Formats: sequence, C-alpha cells, structure tokens
Amino acid sequence: MGLLSPQDEATLKQHLSAITLPVQLVLFTQTFGGSESGDVAKQILNEIASLNDKITVVEKNFVLDSEDKAKYNVDKAPAIVILSDDTDTRMRMYGAPTGYEFVGLVEAIIVAGTGKIDLDPETMKWVQAVDKPTHIQVFSTPT
Amino acid sequence: MAAANEKITADAIEATEFMDLSRKYRVTGVPKTIVNETIEILGGLPEKMFVRQALDMPEEQGT
Repeated sequence: MGLLSPQDEATLKQHLSAITLPVQLVLFTQTFGGSESGDVAKQILNEIASLNDKITVVEKNFVLDSEDKAKYNVDKAPAIVILSDDTDTRMRMYGAPTGYEFVGLVEAIIVAGTGKIDLDPETMKWVQAVDKPTHIQVFSTPT
Repeated sequence: MAAANEKITADAIEATEFMDLSRKYRVTGVPKTIVNETIEILGGLPEKMFVRQALDMPEEQGT
C-alpha cells in the first residue's frame, strides 16, 4: 500500500510534470544497525520516482559504499543526495522525508529537475556573490 | 541557495532522528537553521531576511 493517496499522487504528478532534466535521488541507508527511517525514505523516494520517468532512485549502503559516501560528503544515514543530470546540487536530506519534510524534498526535486531557482532577483545576487564555503543546516520535524 | 552557488551546501535534517545533532545545536524549536556552525536562525523568516542573516550581511546591504 502506498504512502500517498490517489489524489495526492495525482497532485504530485502534476507538480513533477515541470521537470525536464533527469533527477537522481541517491539514497544512503544502513542495513545493520540502521533505523527504520531508511525503509520509509526508500518507500517515499520510490513512490515519487514512479510518478515521473525522469526521476530515478539510486540505493547506496552507508557502510559499504564508502567511496560514494566520501564523494557526496555524507556523514549520517538515511541520507538523500539530490543530483540534477548526474551533477551534485549540494542539497541533502537527512532522515525520512515525511510530513513537512516531504514538501521540502519535492521542492528540491523540482529545482533539480527544472534548473529554476525561485529566489527574488536581488536575493539571487547576494547568494551568487558568496565566495567562501557556506554550510547551511536546517533542522525541522515532520509535523 | 545551494543550487545557486557551488560554494553553498544545504542540509535538511530531521531533528528527532538525529538527537545528538539537535542537542549539539540546542534545537528546542523548529525550524532552526545553523550556518557554518556559528550563525543561528530561529523560525521561518521572509526570504530576504533569512538570506541576509544566513550570509551574515551587514544591515545596510539589504536595504
């Protein structure tokens, strides 16, 4: 049984139809010693990917796939790395993307899949002027 | 922001799942944003205000 209702699926599919670029969702989970949220994350990503053929889910093992873990600088699991046409968007989600987090995931997928960033032009100038490494961590909860 | 600049990385973290991190950054309410381990932004802010604070911009640059 899916996590999304048929109506939610239809709405999501409509939103995702704007995607023109391939989007890869690289999911790192831990088989042994990991939390159940990895399974939830996998189910959510697979449901999203089933709604648009440009979205694919790539599963990685947090312990065994150490090269990819280092490549994407992933330090905890479950982790979702969002790629746009195989290019790192530098957007990460840690934990199962449920509730409000799901909305953030969908927005990130749409940014990755359209290349369009919904920022005010002036804000965009400020962001593009950043010339030093900047690590942003946003803590939230599903509800 | 991360998608707009290669220097920026953005992590969305489920606070209840990563309690060690939540304790480290004293996350008692969400959303809470930490930038470069030093800047803390509590709550959701309008876009310009958020970006100005996240990038540690002097007040006059945003007005």
